[in-house]
Amino acid sequence: MRLLLNKFTDRILHHGSWKGYWEVLMQQFKPAWRDGYFRARIMAVKNLSTDMLEVVLKPERAWPTHTAGQHIALTIEINGRLTTRVFTVASGADTHRRTKCIRLVTKVKAQGALTPHLHSCLPNQWVNISAPMGEFIVPKVEKPLLMIAGGSGITPFIAMLDDAIEKAQLNNTPVHLLYFAKPNEHVLIDELSAFQKRCENFSYSILTKQKDGDLEAHLSYFADAHWLVCGPNAMYEQARHCAELISAPLSSEHFAALPAINSSSPGQSETFSLLHNGETLTIDNQQSLLSQLQQAEQPVTYGCGMGICHQCQCVKKRGVVRDTRTGELSDSAEQLIQLCVSQAVTDLEIQL
Amino acid sequence: MTTSVTIDTQHREEVTEQAQSPVHETQKIQVAQPKSNGKKPNYELLAAQFDEIKADIKRKVGAEDASYIRRIILIQRICEWNGRILLMLGFIQPLLWVAGVLSLATAKILDNMEIGHNVMHGQYDWMNDKHINSRRYEWDIACDGSSWNRVHNYEHHTYTNIIGKDRDFGYGLLRLSNDFRWRVKNLWQFATYIVLSVMFQWGVSYHEMAAERVFFGKKKDNRKNQVTHSELKKRFFSKGARQLVKDYVLFPLLAGPLFLWVFTGNLIANLLRNLWTSTIIFCGHFTGDVETFKEEDCTNETRGQWYYRQALGSSNIKGGNLFHVLTGHLSFQIEHHLFPDIPARRYREMAPKVEAVFKEHGMHYNTGGFLKQYTSVLKRIIRYSFP
Repeated sequence: MRLLLNKFTDRILHHGSWKGYWEVLMQQFKPAWRDGYFRARIMAVKNLSTDMLEVVLKPERAWPTHTAGQHIALTIEINGRLTTRVFTVASGADTHRRTKCIRLVTKVKAQGALTPHLHSCLPNQWVNISAPMGEFIVPKVEKPLLMIAGGSGITPFIAMLDDAIEKAQLNNTPVHLLYFAKPNEHVLIDELSAFQKRCENFSYSILTKQKDGDLEAHLSYFADAHWLVCGPNAMYEQARHCAELISAPLSSEHFAALPAINSSSPGQSETFSLLHNGETLTIDNQQSLLSQLQQAEQPVTYGCGMGICHQCQCVKKRGVVRDTRTGELSDSAEQLIQLCVSQAVTDLEIQL
Repeated sequence: MTTSVTIDTQHREEVTEQAQSPVHETQKIQVAQPKSNGKKPNYELLAAQFDEIKADIKRKVGAEDASYIRRIILIQRICEWNGRILLMLGFIQPLLWVAGVLSLATAKILDNMEIGHNVMHGQYDWMNDKHINSRRYEWDIACDGSSWNRVHNYEHHTYTNIIGKDRDFGYGLLRLSNDFRWRVKNLWQFATYIVLSVMFQWGVSYHEMAAERVFFGKKKDNRKNQVTHSELKKRFFSKGARQLVKDYVLFPLLAGPLFLWVFTGNLIANLLRNLWTSTIIFCGHFTGDVETFKEEDCTNETRGQWYYRQALGSSNIKGGNLFHVLTGHLSFQIEHHLFPDIPARRYREMAPKVEAVFKEHGMHYNTGGFLKQYTSVLKRIIRYSFP
């Protein structure tokens, strides 16, 4: 039925989808009703520390419940612009079944496109979320587990522990958590200690690099465990290196933090990678993306070459580009860009 | 104010040095009816001033514009389905049918102008909306959207009114300036114009398909991904056929015994939309004072010269709020050509600033009431019917 309606909409109403065609009308009755997204209501926004924020969301009923450890894309309309960022769900699937709510815990980045606006989100405001995604979940193994968290990488572990302890799954498998963060930036410690009280197989250490040294020093005690790592790239690399040495099994989720971008004009020549159509090209930040794609003999449609005609427009899946006309930097999430007036600022992925 | 003054002094000095070359080039410009008294503006200053107007507005564009375009889409949806239903109620009271025709025509005009044209210009791409963007939007007329987008945005907006490059100037059917040699067929071009207006959506559709062949056919450099002619033909016929099926087969058939009511209603709604869009577009480009340019003018053109050409190649129509919305703000054709990707509703507040810049540079800001502009268009069509 849906296929048929979409076919009808496409052929007769000239619109991508039936739902999309009626979107604006439905939004009159259901705020933030959007084709291809789930709706969720903001229930509460709370400060956990100076720069950590907790957001409680109530997804609409049709939302398929996540598995602890998975993440969602959160989309909020900020000054008319739909802005999307990915967050790990920091609460268990069981909690969602019971309370109908999920929780996100995030660091507020002053320069960020979305997180600084979370503060001004009002309770009961409607936002959009995606279906849960991600493969980082509790592995089905009979071994003890070692969880290694760095900074906001604590979130999936909270969700995993929430579920596992609720369902009494840890009775035979001891779990230990190594939680690294900057001094005084550890969050949700009260919840960790509550977990520990409820489950004697769970223990945790609160660590800082300054006081407790590098991650490596702590890993040797857990050679027989299955390791789970979530944190910044550097931390992941360390853990991976150690795991290789002692051949411990390892699952991970790591994020490459965006490099600091400060200048608004392309200074020194730098090279980046451009992923397009499964191919990776090396590009620099001096020429436009269009001219570099042409040099690489990639098939691109183009027109005026000065940003007027929108012929070379394409979808940037991720990465930041600079508008050569204004020096303005783009968002880091998915966006439409014009190749002829864009230069790379980070590694990019585009779809022509 | 302070900023514009600084720019002023800065550029005045630079320009005295550079003045030689651009002036030489532009002296070749032959204007149809030179209103701007042949005096060339300070291009650098002109570009800086227009850039500033643009940057000012760009800072303001946001939630207001997003909810505006959504509201217009909502009104379009309501008008369209209200119209389609009323068309079937004509047997109760013929006036309902008349209301239906008007409602459907309004929907088609909104879809064509304020929504289709503007969204496909990329004016709302910043919203990151899956459906309201220049890549996805498709409109309710015979012309395939992506074909139009390619040719209109590239050819017409980059090479505005350059004879030989912008085939929108007279659409290859009408002789509207002395740049074209007079032919016998021009004698009855007024009739051609009427036919074009009545069939406007088909004219546009055919025009864009042919344009691709004429325009891109010549240039073979590295255009491997350019759409082939057969693909274009396919799109032309596919979109055209879908429009015919929709308005003259599917919806009439759905009405059962009221087939003819709906058939005629759709026909008239399409006709009204064709006449309206064609009239507005002619008023925006072919009034008596609109100037034309030569191919040489756009080689190595600076940003200022491009602005200058855009400015003199268009004309505005004065009118009320509803009028502007129904024209898709193409009643601000000058502002549209200067800033094609700024949300069109913002042209209203840009217009006074733009006019002030025109005045400062002694350029003719071509505007007037609808009747004045339209009379001027008709005069131009008739004037150039004769050698």
